[in-house]
This record gives sequence, C-alpha cells and structure tokens, in this order.
Amino acid sequence: MKKTQGAWGLQWLMRMAPEKQDTLLKMVILTVAAVLSFSTRLFSVLRFESVIHEFDPYFNYRTTRFLADEGFYNFHNWFDDRAWYPLGRIIGGTIYPGLMVTSALIYHVMNFFHLTIDVRNVCVFLAPLFSSFTTIVTFYFTKELRDASAGLLAASMLAIVPGYISRSVAGSYDNEGIAIFCMLLTYALWIKSVKTGSIFWGALCALAYFYMVSSWGGYVFLINLIPLHVLMLMITGRFSHRIYVAYSTVYCLGTILSMQISFVGFQPVQSSEHMAALGVFGLCQIHAFVDFLRSKMSREHFNILFKSLVLLVGTVVFAAAAVATALGKIAPWTGRFYSLLDPSYAKNNIPIIASVSEHQPTTWSSFYFDLQLLMFLFPVGLYYCFVKLTDANIFIIMYGVTSIYFAGVMVRLMLVLAPVMCVLGGIGMSAVLTTYMKNLDNPMRKEKKSAKKIESNYPLKNEIATCVVCLMTVFLLYYTYHCTWVTSEAYSSPSIVLSARGGDGSRIIFDDFREAYYWLRHNTPEDAKVMSWWDYGYQITAMANRTILVDNNTWNNTHISRVGQAMASSEEKAYEIMRELDVNYVLVIFGGLTGYSSDDINKFLWMVRIGGSTDRGSHIKEWDYYTPQGEFRVDKEGSPILLNCLMYKMCYYRFGSVYTEGGKPTGYDRVRNTEIGNKDFELDVLEEAYTTEHWLVRIYKVKDLENRGV
Amino acid sequence: MAKVIMKTRVLTLLLLHLLISVFGKLNQDSIDKNLVNSKVERKIDIATHLVKTVTSITLENKGTSAIRSFLFALDPSLKDNLSFLSAVTKDNKDEKLEIAETSVAGLSDKRFFRISLLSALDGGKSIVVEVEAIYSHVLKPFPLEITQAEKQLVVLDTNLFFYSPYPTTSQTTVVTTTNSNIESYTKTKPVSQSDATISYGPFEDKAPFSESQLRVHEENNSPFLTVTSLERVVEVSHWGNIAVEEHIDMRHTGATLKGPFSRFDYQRQQDGYASIKNFKTSLPASARDVYYRDEIGNISTSNMKELDESVDVELRPRFPLFGGWKTRYYLGYNVPSYEYLYYKGDHYALKMRFVDHIYDDMVIDEMQLKIILPEGSKNIELKTPFDVQRKGDEIHYTYLDTLGRPVVVLSKLNLVEQHIQDFELHYTFQKFLLLQEPLLVVGAFYLLFLVVIIYVRLDFAITKDEAKESRMRVSTLIDEVQSAHDRRSALYQSYDDAINKYKTSKDAAALTSSRKKIDADYKQLTQQIQNLQAQLKAEGSEAAEKVAELQRYDIQYKEQIGLAIAAAEKLVLGKLTRQQYLDTEAATTSKCEDTYKKMESLRSAL
Repeated sequence: MKKTQGAWGLQWLMRMAPEKQDTLLKMVILTVAAVLSFSTRLFSVLRFESVIHEFDPYFNYRTTRFLADEGFYNFHNWFDDRAWYPLGRIIGGTIYPGLMVTSALIYHVMNFFHLTIDVRNVCVFLAPLFSSFTTIVTFYFTKELRDASAGLLAASMLAIVPGYISRSVAGSYDNEGIAIFCMLLTYALWIKSVKTGSIFWGALCALAYFYMVSSWGGYVFLINLIPLHVLMLMITGRFSHRIYVAYSTVYCLGTILSMQISFVGFQPVQSSEHMAALGVFGLCQIHAFVDFLRSKMSREHFNILFKSLVLLVGTVVFAAAAVATALGKIAPWTGRFYSLLDPSYAKNNIPIIASVSEHQPTTWSSFYFDLQLLMFLFPVGLYYCFVKLTDANIFIIMYGVTSIYFAGVMVRLMLVLAPVMCVLGGIGMSAVLTTYMKNLDNPMRKEKKSAKKIESNYPLKNEIATCVVCLMTVFLLYYTYHCTWVTSEAYSSPSIVLSARGGDGSRIIFDDFREAYYWLRHNTPEDAKVMSWWDYGYQITAMANRTILVDNNTWNNTHISRVGQAMASSEEKAYEIMRELDVNYVLVIFGGLTGYSSDDINKFLWMVRIGGSTDRGSHIKEWDYYTPQGEFRVDKEGSPILLNCLMYKMCYYRFGSVYTEGGKPTGYDRVRNTEIGNKDFELDVLEEAYTTEHWLVRIYKVKDLENRGV
Repeated sequence: MAKVIMKTRVLTLLLLHLLISVFGKLNQDSIDKNLVNSKVERKIDIATHLVKTVTSITLENKGTSAIRSFLFALDPSLKDNLSFLSAVTKDNKDEKLEIAETSVAGLSDKRFFRISLLSALDGGKSIVVEVEAIYSHVLKPFPLEITQAEKQLVVLDTNLFFYSPYPTTSQTTVVTTTNSNIESYTKTKPVSQSDATISYGPFEDKAPFSESQLRVHEENNSPFLTVTSLERVVEVSHWGNIAVEEHIDMRHTGATLKGPFSRFDYQRQQDGYASIKNFKTSLPASARDVYYRDEIGNISTSNMKELDESVDVELRPRFPLFGGWKTRYYLGYNVPSYEYLYYKGDHYALKMRFVDHIYDDMVIDEMQLKIILPEGSKNIELKTPFDVQRKGDEIHYTYLDTLGRPVVVLSKLNLVEQHIQDFELHYTFQKFLLLQEPLLVVGAFYLLFLVVIIYVRLDFAITKDEAKESRMRVSTLIDEVQSAHDRRSALYQSYDDAINKYKTSKDAAALTSSRKKIDADYKQLTQQIQNLQAQLKAEGSEAAEKVAELQRYDIQYKEQIGLAIAAAEKLVLGKLTRQQYLDTEAATTSKCEDTYKKMESLRSAL
C-alpha cells in the first residue's frame, strides 16, 4: 500500500485542481499563440532591416513623426504644403488618426519611462504587436460564440493566417494593422452586450467602435453588419430587451463618438452608407413599442393599430428619405462603395480606383493562398453554428457570409475575411475534434467511461476516431507549414529594397529607390517640386522631403489627370503643363535594365486613361497609344505617339546605347522583352539630373525658359 | 567673521585681476629686432585638397641677450584657413615646441603665433626650426563649374615669400603639385619646373612682411571631400562597453557639376574624374557591431576588413558625390571599455581619441563631441591635447535612467588628420550605483507579481457570487475530507503494525492499549469526515454522495481489520492453526487491498 512516485512534473500538474489546470493550459496556449503571431511577422526585419514598407506606411510614418514632435493640436490643424502642390492638403481633417495617435502614445509612454525607442521602431513593430492583441481578442470572441477550446483554436489559427499577415508584417505600418484588432474587439464586445443585454458592455462596445472609426475607413462594414445582425434577429423573432438595450446603446454612443473624428464628421447621419444603421435603430424603437402595445391590448385591436402604423411610418420614412436625397442631405454613395456592390462599376467608371491592384477582384488561387485549410473548415464551422443556433451564432454567420462576398469583390478585403475564417474554422475544427476525441479509448480511465457511453456505440469507434484526429492533426500541421512559407516568401519583402538572386546564388540588393530619394533630399533645393506618378508621392515626401504634385491619397482626380496628361504628351505639350504646375524635377521608375516589372511604362496605360478622363485631357486618347492591331508595344511597331511621349523619352533616354543582355541588341528592354523602337533622341526641355545605379529611378530636371534672343 | 570673508573676497579679486593682467601681457608680444631668418626653406604641398606647408627656418640671434621664443606670422592669404600648426627643432624632432596664439601691438590685422624654444638662444647663435602648417579650403576650383567628363582644375594663390616679422636673408620655396599637368604658374625668376614640382628661389634679403604673388593653376582630381559637420557621441557604460556614433554631413567642395549627370557615361566610360565614389574609414581594431546608415535606413553598400591594428570600413555613399553634392550618414560601433577606461577605486579616467579617422586627408569644418557618462558620475575633469570649446554639460536620459546621465559637450572648428589625438576625462563614480538599474528592474517585477498575487487572492467584487462562493467552500471541504482520509489511511497502517507487533510479542495488553488509542483517533477522524459530509450535503454538492460511499468502504475496511485482529488473537491463543490463520489473513488482506484501492480512486475523484 505504498504510494507510487510518478514523474514529478506531471504529478505536479495533475495535483492541481482541474480548474487551475484548465486556466494554466489556456494561458500557456494563448501566450504561445500571441508570441508566435508577433514573431512570425518579423521575417522582413531579420532579412532586411527595421524599415517601413510600401507606400502608404510612409505617409503614416511621416504623420506619426509630426504628431510625436508637434503634439496633437498642431497635428489636427496641420496643413501640408509638401503634397498636392499647389493645392496642399489638410492632413488633420482628411485622415483617420487612430494609428498615429496609438503609436505616438506608445512612443511617449516608453520615453516617459526612459525606454529610449525612436518613432520609426514604434511604427515598424506596431502591427505585429497589435496582431498579438488580435489573437487574444479572437480567443475571447470565439469563446463568447462557442467555447474556450474553439477560442484557442481560432486564436492559434489567426496568429498565422496569411490573409491577415499580408497587412501586418513588421514595417507594414498601415491602418489595417490596428483596425482588425479594433474590429474584432468591437465584435466581441457586441456579442457580449447582446448576450448580457447590459448597458455597460454596450458602452464598452461603443468605445471600441470609436477606436475602430478613428483608425480605418472600413468601419462602414462594421456599422452595417451590426444593424444587419439586429435585423436578422428581428426577422427570426429573436428580438428581445437585451438586443434592444445593446443596440440602442451601441448605436447612440457609437454614432456620437464617431462624429468626433473630423474626417468622419456628419457622415453618420447624412451619407447613405450609414442609413442602414439609422433605419434599424428606428425599427428597434418601433419593434419595442409594438411589443409593449401587444402586451397591453387585445389581439384584434392590436392588428388594426399595427397595420395602420406600418403604413403611416413607411410613408413618412420614404418621403423623408426622398426629400433628403433631393436636397442633397444624404450624400450619394461613393465610388468605392459602388464597386463593392458591383465589381464592374469601378472598371467602367472610375479609372483611378480600377488602377489600384488591391481593388481588383480576388482570384480563387489567392483565396487558397491566403486561407488554405480555412477554406474547407469555413463551411464546417457554419454547419456547427447552424446546428446550435443562438443570437451570437447568427452574428458570426452574417459576418462570414457578407465578408466572403466582399473579399471576392476586392482583394484588399481579404483582410476582413481572414478573422471570421479563423473563428469559423476554429469552431469547426474544435467541434470535430471534441466529437471524436470522446470516442478515443482513454487508457487513463477505462471501464467507467465506456460503460456510460454505450448508447452511441458503433463498430471500430476507436479506430475511426483515431483516424479523424490524426487527419486533423496533419491538416493543422500542414496549415502551419503553409502559413509560414507564405509569410516568408510572399509577404515579407519591404518593396522599398528589392533583392534578387545572383548567378552564384548570392543575394543582390537593389536599393535604388532610397538612393534616388536620398539624392533628392540632399541635392535639390529645399522648395523643389517633384512630379511623379502618384504611387511614389508618399515615399517622396517622407524620404526625400520634397514637395510633390500628387500622392497616394488620390483625392483630386483632375490634378492626377493633369500629371497623367503631362506624362502622356509630347515634350512641348508636357513642358507647358510642367511650367503651369511649377515642376522642377520629374521622377520616373524604369525597370527595363533590371527587369523590374512594376515600372512606369507598365503603368503607363493607366496614366493615359486617367489623363484622358477629364476635359482638359480630352486630346489624349487611349487608342492613340496602341498599334493598329490594338497592342501596347514599345518596339519599332509601337505607335509613334507612344514612342515620342514624355514618359517614353524619360524612361528610355540614352537607354538605346546600353547592352542589357548578352546576344541581344542595344536598348533591349528586359521587362517588355523587346528592343525599344525609338533609340536615338535628345531631350529638349529636360536634362538628366540623376539616374540610380541600376537605372530603376531616373530623375530629370526641367530646364528653365531660354533667354530671349538666344 | 564677515570681515574675514570680505577680506578673502577682496584678495581673490585682486589675485584674479593680477592674473588677467599678466595673462594679457603674455598674449601681447613685440617683434624682436635682433632676430633674423638667415635661411628659410619652404615646401608647399598642394597634391591633395589641403595645403600643407613645411617651413624650415634657420633663426639667428644677432643681439646679445638670449631669447626664449620667436614669432611666426601667418600669411595674409592663408590666415583664415589654418587648421593645424606644429613646430620642432631640427635636432630634436620628437619634442614639440609650445605654440600659443598671440598678437603684436599695432599689427592687429595679422595673426601671430609665439613658438617657445626648448632652450634659450644666446646672442650670436642660430637654430633650425621646422614649422608644419596645414590649411584647408585654400585651393579654389577654377573654373568653378565643370561638366561630368571634365577634369578638375584648382588654383593656389598665395605669397611667394616667407611671411615673417623678421628680415629674411635667403629663402627658397618648392611647390609640389598633384601631377605634371600644370596649366600655369607664376614665373618670378629664379624658377624651375620639373615633373610635379616648381622651385622658386633662392631670393635674397627680403624685408619683414614682404609679399609677392604666387599663383599655381593645376589639375587636381583628388577628392575634395569636406565634413561640414561632425557629431561624435561616445557613450560610456561601466558594464564593459563604449558605444561610439558619428553623424557626418559631408560635401564635395571642389568644382561644382554643371549640366546633367549621365549614368550611362558614368558607367561606360568611367568618367567623372572629380567625383567621389567611396572612401575608407579606419576604426579602432576592437570595433564591433559596425553600422552604417542614414535617416532613411541602412546603406547597403559598404565593406568591412578587419586588420591587425584597425578595422577598415569601405564606405560608399548612396550616390557618387559630384562637385557641390552633399550627403549625410551615421556610422556607429562598439568598443570594449577596458581598452579606454582606466580606474583606481572610485576614480575613472576615459582616454579616447577626440576625433577619429574618417578618410585620408580629411577636413572637418565643425565638430561636436558628446561624452555620455554613466548615471551618477561626478567631479568631471577634462584634459585635451589642443584648445577646444567646452559647452555647458547636458543631461541625457536613456534606458532605466532616473536622474539622467551627465553629458560633456565639446566643440571645435577646422580639424584635420593631425588632430587625431587622445583626450582624457577624469571622473568619480561609486561602484554600487552599478546595481541601481538591475535592482530597479527586479523591484518593478516584484511589484508586478505582488499586485497580481494580491489581485488573485483577494476578492474585490462588490456583489457576492453565490455559486462561486459555494464552489470555493466545497473545494475547501473536499480538501479537508481528503486530508482527513489520508490520515485515516495512515491509521490502517498503524492497525497492521499493532497486529504484527502483537503476533511477535504476544502481549495482549499492549495490543488493547494501542488499539484503544488508534480507535480513538479513528473515531475522531471518521466523525470529522461525517461532519464534512454533512456540510457538503448542505452545499448541495454531489461530492457528498461520494464521501458517503467513501464512508461505506471505510466501514467495510474497518470490519476487515476487526476480523484480522480477531484472527490474530485466536492465533495467539492457539484457537487457530497457522495454516488457517494464513488463509484468513490472505482473505482479509486481499479484501482490504480491494477496498483501499476503491477508496483511493474515490478520494482522487472527489
């Protein structure tokens, strides 16, 4: 009768109360998931350096630096004369400040405790940090929807899902980085307030919503999804006091709070995108009132009253909406919103929206690439949600179905889909696993359990369960493998520094962008105006600190169109435009020497289209730039207008005498794989000011007017 | 008392006044009429962008009284460009002569330096002194603007004669140019030119301060690179590391680029003779973790070579520097502190280079050195090899600082390679302060854990959660049941022991007494468990049933023990045969074991 001494560690764990064991396990798994979600996003920092990526992040970085240095009020009143010359831009009123405020806050708090960290590093590591938070919030959200084990699975899946990583690697300092966290937090709190029906949770949800509004324009999705949920609950007859309290609190507080963001302003009560929320709010009141009446009246009386009331309210609302629309109080729906509903809308009507690659419809392969296993677990999760339908489950179903539609319309919205995929995937996976795990023969407690579960017995129960569990484990492992691979290969390049493999396998770094920007920063006059296509606007202002004409904000279509016209015109015509716009330098991106395919020649058709889309550019016709066969070619066959326009000349100036590849003639363009058509020409109104080492960036100086009489 | 203080004050003031007047006198010199430069050989080197002159002066004292020093005047064309000046006697080249700037009454537009000799020069004797002077920004590009393919031409415009407050009997001047491509030069006879040297003189008997134009127009494609501003930050850590970071602004100060920069020509024809592609910086041999970056990130074009006496870093700016172009970068590295930091007790001395090598023949227009000392350093004293301006101390805050670290700020204009010399900084630092920051971290974590412990252990809820309370009560009750049961199990063991003892000793009295004792304990424990069970039942916990079951098993067990005792008594009294006894014992033991197992599983299932 001596006690046996087992392995100390396990003994110690087993000795703990099951409750404590549970907490400990949950904490460990969550912590590991959070740490993983941070560290898997650091590929680019380790491979390159701690640097801001892409285009928009540079703007955010610049504004954050301004905010950290100058304080909030100066930031709020900031009129930026470095961009959109000569119009300028009111930064404070045209951005979502949540991101900048968050990082400036972190920066100040850290420095208050004398933890020296510079703004750049705060910006670089903000997105990974917030994805860690998102992981935790996802756990909480899924736990509220189903149970803790589903929550843990969902959190672990979210930590590495490529669809989310694509926007939140270290250095990708963009609104989405924190917006996904805000969105899930709002949802989690919404579910909580629906379940409890307490004003406290509703108010917290409104605060989370405020944070969301302050950080991303995608809040519109959120403010339509919650009312949709409420509407669905009404239709399914699940409307109750809890939902009434929750929605009224969230809507009222949330709307008032969201109007404090100056970029949002009065939109929540005026624009049609927000009308659904307002309508549902009204409907809530009516529904509650009707419920009240019904409880006080007899059935016949109530029916009469109900019919007349519906008729009356319907007419009044319709009339009010019509009047408001006629008076212009309800703003027409913006183009980006139309393109959500009708994928072909933008392509047909707004070239500037269509020209952005992330606004393109999503392909099937990219669904699989970004979500992998989740694509198959999604319906499983949906099934389990339908099996046990609750108020909260209806929400996640709505969220899943709407976001999968939006993600199909626009690549960018894959980001909104990824979390719900993880949540539903987590629910599905956890449900499958819990079902089959029970059927496993447990060596620890043999007789009793099997005796109890006699009723659901079938042959080979244990074997089938083992198979399923193993299969799921393999799936999960493969998912992990895939996610890491995708992150490392596809989403961890800063795009400001390019790298390629040399002939001997060594890594060649093309740092031409920064070379050019740094040259501009130090060797041009402080007030020089640089003309470039809008893609590079943010980078030029942030890194070269020079005034630019158009940038990625794309708020003024005609101005961008004017730049497009300059690029697409002949030299004399372009000179007029450049003089008119006071341009000193022109910057183009040229990949012909290195084979960098997203250069300005490949974007040129968009410049032509956008240039020709306004009245002043009516002389620019897309068709003129094609060959008679309708091809876009830069070789001898190409249209003469193309071969003599400013963009062509700037890109290929003196390129005609360069040997790029062995066995090919001079002036062989490695992107278009042709010998260029117009080789020998001189520039009249421009002079080459700087060309980077690999010719990726070419900067030209606009010559002054010639002296009279010369 | 007050009077004494007054007196001392007056005295100090007087002393100060005296000192100032003496100092003023010292700084005011007159020209000694008895001194003559009997022979002067001047070498002017304009091969680089610096003008380096070495003047060998044979100084003769024609008077009778011995002299201890003489004056060296700067040429009017060079006087604003002096970077470095040193003098040695020809016989003793190791010992540098003391040099101090001074002025001469009535000649306030000229710059003079008083060079003190090692020993007095008696009347009629002569001595040879070699004065080395380095001037920056003297060579002017001419033409001022050139195109990419053109070569850079510069012009030297200075004095043909040695500019001296004393008459010069005989003098020669040799100009060393970059190469033999000399556009033009002053043809004052006697003159001769061969290859890259132009020799003038000898010129006889020139009066003090005589001047004549010397103009050399030559091709000079050496890098006209100037560091327009250098900020060097040295951060000393007593944990064994010294971090050095240099912020460098540099500009190509040669002929500016006219017209376009063509990358094609630059790559194909390798022109751009006057441009600067890269340069080499030598860092201390122990330099580690070298980084080369700028405001927008890492500069990926650099190479590092570790040599025995230095670490050579080949730096390539992001873009080649043409005339008039500028750039800016940071270069930083760590060195171990044992090489530079010396201490004795609480006294520390930092001995480091005031400025370090940036490129060969470097020119620094303006530099600032910041030395960040550890938090709590006091009594800072500075010794520098040359005059520097010390600005007010600053305070710097970084990781975990509370009071901040003292920063010594020094600045100096116009430096060249010859200024790479060590400074010394003495200060005191109490060693136990080293523990301050680790203790701070430990304290912070301790506090954090304490708060968590308090938060977890105490209940801060305003309302009572009945279910949770009950759950907690139940779990404590179960804990108690388990411990009571454990003790009871130990009692079973005691029964066994008592029986065995009885069997060997056959002492019935001892058995009864020990049995009584164990029975009492057993009863008490059973009663306790009974009470606990009642309480559990009151809480409505299903554990109550399990406890009841446990009690039932216990009764069975007890019965078996009773049987075992009876059997043992019978055996001792001879009422049972040994074989019979063994059989009953085996039966009871197996039953006991069976119930024990059941009880244990019940206990752990609670």
